[in-house]
Amino acid sequence: MNLTGRARPVADPAGRLVARSGLPTGASPRWEPPVTPLLDVRGVDKSFGPVQVLHEAALSVHPGEVTALVGDNGAGKSTLIKCLGGILPMDAGDVLFEGRPVRVSGPRDAAELGIEIVHQDFALCDNLSVAENMFLGRERRRGLVLDEADMERRAAQALAALSIRTVGSVRRPVGSLAGGQRQSVAIARAMLWGSRVVVLDEPTASLGLAHAQQVLEAARKLADRGLAVVLISHNMNDVFSVADRITALFLGRTVAQVRASEVTHTQVVELITSGRVTPTL
Amino acid sequence: MKGGPSQEEIRRHNLGTLLRHIHLRGPASRAVLAEGMGLNRSTILALVADLTAAGLVREELPRDTGRRAGRPSLVVRPESTQVYALAFDVGVDRLAAARVGLGGVVLDRREAARPRGAFDPDEVVGALVGFARRLVRKAGRDSVCVGVGAAFPGTVRQSDGMVRFGPNIGVRDLELAPVLARRLGLGLPVAVGNDANLGALAEHERGVGVGCANLIYLHGDVGIGGGLIVGGRLLGGAEGYAGEIGHMVVNPGGRRCDCGSRGCLDAEVGEPTLLEYAGLPADAQAGRDAVRAVVDAADLGDAAARGALHRVGDWLGHGVANLVNIFNPEMIVFGGTLRDIYLGSAAQVRSRLAVQTLAASRERVKLRTADLGDDATLFGAAELAFAEVLADPLEVLTRLRVPGEAPLPAPT
Ligand SMILES: Nc1ncnc2c1ncn2[C@@H]1O[C@H](COP(=O)(O)OP(=O)(O)OP(=O)(O)O)[C@@H](O)[C@H]1O
Ligand SMILES: [Mg+2]
Ligand SMILES: [Zn+2]
Repeated sequence: MNLTGRARPVADPAGRLVARSGLPTGASPRWEPPVTPLLDVRGVDKSFGPVQVLHEAALSVHPGEVTALVGDNGAGKSTLIKCLGGILPMDAGDVLFEGRPVRVSGPRDAAELGIEIVHQDFALCDNLSVAENMFLGRERRRGLVLDEADMERRAAQALAALSIRTVGSVRRPVGSLAGGQRQSVAIARAMLWGSRVVVLDEPTASLGLAHAQQVLEAARKLADRGLAVVLISHNMNDVFSVADRITALFLGRTVAQVRASEVTHTQVVELITSGRVTPTL
Repeated sequence: MKGGPSQEEIRRHNLGTLLRHIHLRGPASRAVLAEGMGLNRSTILALVADLTAAGLVREELPRDTGRRAGRPSLVVRPESTQVYALAFDVGVDRLAAARVGLGGVVLDRREAARPRGAFDPDEVVGALVGFARRLVRKAGRDSVCVGVGAAFPGTVRQSDGMVRFGPNIGVRDLELAPVLARRLGLGLPVAVGNDANLGALAEHERGVGVGCANLIYLHGDVGIGGGLIVGGRLLGGAEGYAGEIGHMVVNPGGRRCDCGSRGCLDAEVGEPTLLEYAGLPADAQAGRDAVRAVVDAADLGDAAARGALHRVGDWLGHGVANLVNIFNPEMIVFGGTLRDIYLGSAAQVRSRLAVQTLAASRERVKLRTADLGDDATLFGAAELAFAEVLADPLEVLTRLRVPGEAPLPAPT
């Protein structure tokens, strides 16, 4: 292991933050083909009044991968994803989509790019059915009447594709579902709309084990179908069980963007709590 | 054509390939089949006609036409309700049986809890035969059973299906296949396979590992089993015993294993160890629900449960790291109770992997949970049962459909 000391992230020539040699890379630096992230946000600054919450924060996400976004309470995770979802304006920062600079100045811009954010307090309509919720605002129309059969079939297909079996009938009102089932519906909804980036903000918080596992596996399946998934979680098992990459925020700064296979549990915890890694191995 | 395959052999091969495609990947149009098999349309037409005549497939309009313009083309579908296999799964705590239609549809199933204790072959075979009678009786009169497969938690000799050793269930040299075949009285042989090997096969063919040629399946029941798909095939070894990952020593001099050794993965990660570490009394309720309860408690913050998971997860990580270094798999699949254990200790497993494997070997490895859940082994048994008809569809069907010799369920 070439552990040469603390890991201060450095900017590579493209401006991305990468972890330097403080993290175990196993052997000598590995050559990786230059892959363009699907979504690449860099240099994001954000202040609320006098308080600067994000300092040149960065996040790269790749198709077919789950990127875990980790950091302590208040590190700025939710703020960062709200910025890239167009819900909060950023004070500074660049967003590249498939390598091209784009502007995300509102939720519509994000939706047009195929960025779907499932907030922790995501909104579903309790009195509508599962299928209706999944098509909310985008009802399939056949002639002028809503084609319910078609909607229900596609909703059921999306749930099945993610191996979500516990929801039961797509005609059930969402109000009768438990937390994990609601979360699953929100995730499946993201899939239906041809989303390309799906951001899940603490999807397993407050869920029981069985539902949390199902949500994690659904997130994994979304990525396996080629979507780029961002998973915000405080639970290291969640992170390590499904993530391909880990991005750590510390006090509003991105302190590491690494592959999950290159780091240990202890190192990620250190990144979260101190923003750096000491060679412990 | 001297030395090459005969026309007849080529036809048999093509029939098998086509049927296998429909069986594993679902209904497809002739055009898609032609494309996929690299054969011209007239050959496909002839093959489909043969399989249709044998009652194995049927052509019809796709059910789900969407509402696109133009005439939809016919699709070739498996005759799922007409052609079926019987699958059995002998678990330490559970006996399961299913009637599985061609195409992998579970048409009917039965299961029962099995009390732990000494293994009584008569009792187990009796229970399976009872399941089978009920399953077969419900099948249509004109349907045909094309094979019987059974998954067993033990090492199974490939040549004759003899169960050599099943330490978790307490079995040595059990002639399961012939006994079960005789008692079933269906006029069909019974194919027996190691449960985790069959789980590997099922996840490779129908689960999370479809399209993945190098896969390792780890199955948690009371102990830990494993199955290796290497280059698209199940690794059997010289006699079929390969894949006993549970008896890989990860902790020399460690906990005693039922196999007689010490520090096997099975002994360090298996159910009794997890429950003991979690502080459960030795006489507490065991089984998969108990394992899941520990994972659940850990998730809710129970310190003992969390500690227990971290300890077994660490040993699991040692095992997985060794496998990655030796086999360079594309995917490791955690099934049975290991699905829950992995999800509850992934940080430990991945940490070991990051530290103990060669970077090149782990770069692309994916850690995944089983798609087929607790039924991976049962589905694998069904695949084993279908193997013969997929290898030579017409011969098997002709043999089974001889009038007067059609197997009827033995009277109760
Ligand atoms: N609308 C707001 N007005 C003022 N301050 C805010 C606002 N939203 C967030 N903050 C502050 O910004 C900081 C970052 O908050 P953010 O919600 O992004 O953190 P987080 O990493 O998502 O934390 P958690 O893990 O607790 O969800 C915090 O100090 C928070 O109090
Ligand atoms: Mg937050
Ligand atoms: Zn052993």
